[in-house]
Amino acid sequence: MSKKKRFGVSEALSRGLSETINVVENNAGIYRNVVLPLSRIELDPDNPRKLAITLADVQQGLNKSDPLYQRKSEEFERLTELAMTIKSSGIINPIVVYKLGEAYRVVAGERRCLASILAGKQEIEARVFNEKPQGFALKLVQWIENTAREDLTLDERINNIRDILRAYQNQHGDISVTPTLLKNIIGLSLPQATYYVAVLNAQPDVQQMIENGKIRSLDKAAIICGIESPELRHQAISACITGCSLKELRKMIAHAKQNSKKHLMVDQAVKRGRAASRVNMGFTLKPRVIQVIVESVVDRAEYKKYADLFMKVDWSHIDQTTRMFKKLIEILEYESEIAYD
Amino acid sequence: MRVIAFLNNKGGVGKTTCSRTMAEYLSKVKKRPTLAIDFDPQCNFSHQYLKMEIDPAAPEGLMPPIHPDYDPQDPDHYDWDGRSSISEIFYGQGVVPYPTYIEKLDLAPGHAEKLLAAESVRKSEVVEKVHKQLANFLASPDVKAAYDTVVIDTAPSKGPLTVSVIKAATHIIIPSVMEEQPVQGIYGMLQLWMQESLSREKNRPLTLVGILPNMFKQTRLHKDILTSLQENTAIGKYMMPVKLSQRIVFAEIDSEDANPHSIFDFQENHVAKQEAMEVCEFISERIFTNE
Ligand SMILES: Nc1ncnc2c1ncn2[C@@H]1O[C@H](COP(=O)(O)OP(=O)(O)O)[C@@H](O)[C@H]1O
Ligand SMILES: [Mg+2]
Repeated sequence: MSKKKRFGVSEALSRGLSETINVVENNAGIYRNVVLPLSRIELDPDNPRKLAITLADVQQGLNKSDPLYQRKSEEFERLTELAMTIKSSGIINPIVVYKLGEAYRVVAGERRCLASILAGKQEIEARVFNEKPQGFALKLVQWIENTAREDLTLDERINNIRDILRAYQNQHGDISVTPTLLKNIIGLSLPQATYYVAVLNAQPDVQQMIENGKIRSLDKAAIICGIESPELRHQAISACITGCSLKELRKMIAHAKQNSKKHLMVDQAVKRGRAASRVNMGFTLKPRVIQVIVESVVDRAEYKKYADLFMKVDWSHIDQTTRMFKKLIEILEYESEIAYD
Repeated sequence: MRVIAFLNNKGGVGKTTCSRTMAEYLSKVKKRPTLAIDFDPQCNFSHQYLKMEIDPAAPEGLMPPIHPDYDPQDPDHYDWDGRSSISEIFYGQGVVPYPTYIEKLDLAPGHAEKLLAAESVRKSEVVEKVHKQLANFLASPDVKAAYDTVVIDTAPSKGPLTVSVIKAATHIIIPSVMEEQPVQGIYGMLQLWMQESLSREKNRPLTLVGILPNMFKQTRLHKDILTSLQENTAIGKYMMPVKLSQRIVFAEIDSEDANPHSIFDFQENHVAKQEAMEVCEFISERIFTNE
């Protein structure tokens, strides 16, 4: 019998570790570090960050009659803050550019460029592509640069992925988008790629919530996309907006599913003429069966805290196993009360 | 010249222990001229080979003792105070490595105060200088002529000192305890490895030799975390097939009057020595593949 694993590295951490390794393995040596005059730098017209503010706005100041004035002035304010830190301590990460004629086009770091200009700098540290990136590679680097940034919204991330996929399909034909494809071309882990694929195909109501920033976490968005019933989905979206955690969201969905099952069971019982009010747990001659059940339960994140209780049990010992199984049922009943009340 | 660095931004995972084990293996067992560099303001690595002194200017910190070659009468030494640490590279002074009790091993010790000063720079132009300085030093013809391997112990940080080491290294090793916190430290280091690798010239890549499990115990926790890292397709390739167990001798030989002082002076069949040998042989084979 294979032993159940109990401890492990969190999914997020193991995802981070493998993404980083994949990036290095696929992209080592693609840049060269240089210092460039800011005057030679051009912004990329299809930057995924979607800033409204332009180079001219920064150089000449904003114009009140500009229809985008409101949005631009908010951006301007944030750029000014960044400019202050650049004045005092410079930019932390170099920007990424590629050479286009006499100029350098920004692949990643346009806010840092604009803020450096605001800070009165003449030059900026940059990483120049050693080779001119192809459409797809270009998008990919924007992605790599952006994974390091916490401040990118889910909407921006998803749009980045759409862009990458579009560039990829332009180069390789209209291939259908599967988690494995995403995993291979971007170097995401399979679970994460699966989440992204789910969210790329989100129902319109979910999509809208992502666009207006109401849903910000990939994991939550993916779970919600998996709900078929529109009412339950609506309920989940509302819960998500009011700030419920991933765990709570999972529980809510599980609970809803269970409720619909409960109805069925009760109906069947009624048909047989007698409603059952409790579940018969039966018995087993093989205490190892209980060991498997116990280990599977405490392997779940929400039960890990009980793992110690079962650490020293002798699973060949019938009485001890019976006691521990009772204990487990008590814990399960207790936890499900907290979860569903 | 191979430049090997042990990194992890969590403390107490065995960076210093692994650094000294590797340095002693290379110099004592392999008889390679080796330079040990202590880049951690705590100076634990230096303390293994030198009687470090309290720095009167910063009583919490240590500084190297007077260098055995220093002669106050020597006119050539008129502008030298007789101490020399690796941090001189940030102050435009020469570094004079100290001999150690191991014939082929020299040490460029740390200096708490001066290293901390370099670690705390913030202005980007200065940070940039700190980043490049160790690589410049190791590229100098004197250093290259004198040593064929360099082993660097680092501070538990992701700051300018650590970046400086990453820029200078040819090979990095990430020791880690198989527990959640130290494994997070692996992530921090992989991020730095990524930043550096993307802009390294292709002909001098920064090789990640791997992640070295240290202080390993046969507990559920350690075994499960190790397995989950090994089973991950991306990370698994970088998990070293060797490890150091939690063994009291590794801690005991730290003390000043320990005898023997080096793990390699234990009897051939000592388990800890055999384990250290296996680890060092593995690293050494990886590092000297094309020699
Ligand atoms: N494999 C080991 N077995 C037992 N003790 C160890 C082992 N590795 C390191 N130690 C001890 O653990 C402590 C921390 O190790 P150290 O190498 O100083 O870590 P770091 O340099 O990462 O802070 C030291 O006291 C050291 O002697
Ligand atoms: Mg140390």
